[in-house]
Amino acid sequence: MSIASRVGLRLEPRVENPRWMNWVVPIGSFLTALLVGAVLLLITSQNPISVYQRILERGFLDSGSLSGTFISATPLLFTGLCAAVAFRVGFFNIGGEGQFYVGAVFASGIALALGADAQSWIAVGAMVLAGAVGGAFWAFIPGILRARFRTNEIITSLMLNYVAGIGATYLIFESDSFWRELGGTGAVFPKGKIIPLTAQWPSFNLGSLVVPFGLVLGALIAVWLHVLQKRTRFGYEMRVVGGAPSTARYAGMRPSRVIVSVAMISGALAGLGGAADVGNFRHVLDPKGLQQSGFGYAGIVVAALARLNPLAVVFVAIILGGITNAGYALQGPDFPAGLVGTLQGLILFCTLGGEVLVRYRIINTRRQVRAVAAS
Amino acid sequence: MTTDVDSKAAIAPAVAAFGISKRFPGVIANDDVNFDVRVGEVHALLGENGAGKTTLSNVLTGLYRPDAGHLEMAGQRVSFDSPRAAIDAGIGMVHQHFRLIPTFTVAENIALGAPMVGEGRLMRMSNIEERIAELGEQFELRVDPTARIWQLSVGEQQRVEILKVLYRNATTLIMDEPTAVLTPLEADALTATMRSLTRQGRSVIFISHKLGEVLSVADRITVLRQGRSVATMDAAGSTRESLANVMVGREVERVQRRGTGALPGAPVVLDVHDLSSDGDRGLAALRSVSFSVRGGEVVAVAGVAGNGQRELVEVLAGLRPRTSGQIDVDGEVMDRADARHPIRMGVAYVPQDRLGTGLAPDLSIAENLVLKRYRRPPVARPPFLRSSVINAEADELMERFDVRAPSSQTPTRRLSGGNVQKVLLAREMSGNPKVLVVSTPTQGLDIGAVATVHQLLLDAAASGVGVLLVSEDLDEVLALADRIIVMYEGGITGVVDAQDATVASIGMLMGGGQSSEEVA
Amino acid sequence: MSVNDNLFVIILASAIFYGTPLVFASLGELLAERSGVINLGVEGMMLLGAVCAALVASNIDGPAALILPLALVAAMAAAGLGAAIHAFLVITLRVNQIISGLALTIFAGAAGLSSYLANVWGLGKNPAINQFGRMNLFGLKGVPVLGPIVFDQTMLTYLSWLMVVLASVYLFRTRMGMHLRAVGESPQTADSVGISVVRYRYGHVIVGGMFAGIAGACFSLTIVPTWANGLTSGQGWIALALVIFGFWRPDLTLVGAYLFGALSSLRFTLQARGIDIPSALLNALPYLATIIVLVLVSNSRISRKLGSPAALGRAYEREER
Repeated sequence: MSIASRVGLRLEPRVENPRWMNWVVPIGSFLTALLVGAVLLLITSQNPISVYQRILERGFLDSGSLSGTFISATPLLFTGLCAAVAFRVGFFNIGGEGQFYVGAVFASGIALALGADAQSWIAVGAMVLAGAVGGAFWAFIPGILRARFRTNEIITSLMLNYVAGIGATYLIFESDSFWRELGGTGAVFPKGKIIPLTAQWPSFNLGSLVVPFGLVLGALIAVWLHVLQKRTRFGYEMRVVGGAPSTARYAGMRPSRVIVSVAMISGALAGLGGAADVGNFRHVLDPKGLQQSGFGYAGIVVAALARLNPLAVVFVAIILGGITNAGYALQGPDFPAGLVGTLQGLILFCTLGGEVLVRYRIINTRRQVRAVAAS
Repeated sequence: MTTDVDSKAAIAPAVAAFGISKRFPGVIANDDVNFDVRVGEVHALLGENGAGKTTLSNVLTGLYRPDAGHLEMAGQRVSFDSPRAAIDAGIGMVHQHFRLIPTFTVAENIALGAPMVGEGRLMRMSNIEERIAELGEQFELRVDPTARIWQLSVGEQQRVEILKVLYRNATTLIMDEPTAVLTPLEADALTATMRSLTRQGRSVIFISHKLGEVLSVADRITVLRQGRSVATMDAAGSTRESLANVMVGREVERVQRRGTGALPGAPVVLDVHDLSSDGDRGLAALRSVSFSVRGGEVVAVAGVAGNGQRELVEVLAGLRPRTSGQIDVDGEVMDRADARHPIRMGVAYVPQDRLGTGLAPDLSIAENLVLKRYRRPPVARPPFLRSSVINAEADELMERFDVRAPSSQTPTRRLSGGNVQKVLLAREMSGNPKVLVVSTPTQGLDIGAVATVHQLLLDAAASGVGVLLVSEDLDEVLALADRIIVMYEGGITGVVDAQDATVASIGMLMGGGQSSEEVA
Repeated sequence: MSVNDNLFVIILASAIFYGTPLVFASLGELLAERSGVINLGVEGMMLLGAVCAALVASNIDGPAALILPLALVAAMAAAGLGAAIHAFLVITLRVNQIISGLALTIFAGAAGLSSYLANVWGLGKNPAINQFGRMNLFGLKGVPVLGPIVFDQTMLTYLSWLMVVLASVYLFRTRMGMHLRAVGESPQTADSVGISVVRYRYGHVIVGGMFAGIAGACFSLTIVPTWANGLTSGQGWIALALVIFGFWRPDLTLVGAYLFGALSSLRFTLQARGIDIPSALLNALPYLATIIVLVLVSNSRISRKLGSPAALGRAYEREER
């Protein structure tokens, strides 16, 4: 008897999807991930209940914690949209990380260049634009290489992450660039110039809740993307190219052009994230901080959990932002670094596995064999 | 005890099936199937598409386990829980779509997965090659063991498939639609091979839906219908008519071309002159082909698959660049190699790969119906698409073309083959084309859907569209066409008026021969 | 100045030193891809291997001859386990291979489990007690040219050479290797002659993961003996590119690995010589070179013919209605 028959598992495509599955399966996957995480925490002699409780408190419940969560969610929202829109057409842009850096470099550059005299709305608008252009430029490279030479975009976009990181580090640590603060303590400890007050992005106060401009911008863009994908000709082309490239060619579409355009939109979104990071939060180009955060990679988790749906990305970004925020707040001996990434990875694994339940029915073949044997 | 078994084996059938049933969600593929194959006979399993032949062969080869029933070989009850178990028991499958690895050599393909013979840890190809040469000698199946599969002709590749099962000492060979890819000449050679096999004590299970070849090759015939084995009969006493009635279970009704096709004065809607193009490997696949199609006419392109038909339709659809030649559509020159251009000029195209090329499987029926019109009003109001228009048009087209689906929002991947083809034809006809190019439009469809599709093609012609029908099915070609173009090795070997055509005359042309009935 | 201080000799010797983890990692990925499974989790698996090797090597007392093999086994087990998750998701559950591999790297990578474990276990304060040192094999280190290049490497390098030879023989000279290639080229064909596609895929993905684990141990036990989060710095991704660069052949992959080893080591060797090139440029060189090589390889006609296993990236399911 073969292993397959002993294990007795077989998947059969579902003909109908019961509606309850769209809710029960993701929630079940999330809970399963927490359970596996709890086992891991126990093994490494941590108390899972107190860890989860503290994440919940510091991420969402404590006063002011939600404002912090919004700050953490903003970059994840942009990188999540970046991955979601690209993956939708089968362009696996893993370069959100690098596109985020380049967006931050461009946005901080334009803010510094405009100086303190520029009107605030011009400065902020210019940063938004510059960030988007920077990210789009960085994503254009893997996009055009894939379209022209069929070069694997996963690896090229990823290599460019490292190149962007090294480039940003060079600007602050290894050269006397325009971005670097050369006066004051900057002469001793390398750091970036702080952007002028007029270029710093606003935040909106709703009672005790502080909503950063970047988050609002990101949410608006998510809605725009949703409309783009569902209601426009270009969105229609995206769906055909993503699901059936040879059908797209047959219908007279130009898959390469669609892919390069989507790559640039995707990069622009990550670049906007970088602009928001500088404009709304750090107010300075901080290569070390950027590289430690790993927003680009986390964006892939966000997109996958949101099943590449832009509106769901907003929701997922806030949840993961909460966990990340709690991670920052709690970091220390009993909340070691890396825990947040581990939990994110577990949630992703369980969600991927859970989705199988939506697509397939699992059949226990062993029972069938016994039934035959008995007859 | 042993003598008892021995005497039983002497008369016992090589393979016998008792009450085999196999269900899939929503379908009963095999329902109480019984038959037996005698030692040294060619036993045909005859049935339409969807009658359960493929499922049955998958049960025989251990890919599926039956839900009920059992198999016996030489009088002994057997049960296969894997393909390997079936192979070890002496059952060999010659697949319709060859299970060969193009980059491997003949010897490597044959030795793949076979038990080691007199060999240490490292492989010794020379032993294997010798054995292949021996087998080739014994059964008159000659092929160079060191050649790579992609260098071989289709007929040679099939020989490798047969050698592969003989190498595993198969006593019973299952051949699934083995002539579908062969020229008539190659098919004759295959018949000789089958005779040589049965002479040497092997048994052959011959799966087919073609009455003629079953009658000429098989000793006995088991007919499958709707998953059940309805009759087993001797080939000697059977006729085409008797088999057809058992196979279909009712009087066979066929759509037949009535009128005489295009009116004498009908305009030429498609004029192809001196067209050449390269295949995927960069070699010339289409060699200066010239022909024309008038409005209201059905012109069929007959030929064995792989003789340039695919390249021809792809060039016409703007999906493949041409190396020379001119195409005129309704008097206008089609001069750009770009899929949009033919669409705009009125060339509709139903590709062979319906779900992979013709439709976006994950998109809804409604969205697929506007695949070629989404750029312009009324479907588009740039940059937006008007879903109200799209849905209203979908409902109308589904009604008109009798597409059966829960709603226009159903993804096309959920549709049956017949409905998929109806969606494709609905979309292509909705663009008011001048020319309709269809490639193997009924392959894999059940008999009811075949009749519907044939009727839709004739309706299209009746409305003045010039239809170019590419098909490997000669019955279909003869039933529908006004004129028949026969292709061989990228060129046209003859153009025949349908009234003068016979299976034999077209068969000659398909093999590259010249026909006396050729019409210019 | 002896011949062995020649810049060329030094670069070659350090190319082999720095290229060794790339050899292991790309060899592992090659095995998985030959079976038809892409595993983008190489970086994550390397880091898992690295952290477990570091734990054993710095926390267990004992003779190096005992501890170091133990550390390797730990690295292989941990990374193999990571690969098994990927295998289960993509082979049994038919999850998209790309997403699953990325998930593995995110889960285990620089911001995930490997860092968490390193923090929990308190690595990173001191260098590992036990390390793979350079061997001075047969005392031939001083031999001109060949000495530093061939005889002054670590045990892991010699192991990697053995593995390249074994993998080549396995792939092209043994029956199992032929079956493996068949599974990657055409799982339908393999299945039809009774080769278990599922078993071959599971086996080679997991063994491939173990190779990645050794690659990770190369970092934590020789190259970067004091733990730092994400110490593999993207080499796992370069390994993925090397498999393409080497046309899925072990020997060519080794050549590629040393090419990139040379680029990675260039900044140390050149700086040590006082040659002044902006370090940012040197740091970025391996990544830029990867892109350029990939473009060249993917644009050539040869790679499309000789190239990737035909069924790479696709889940296999028997045709069932």
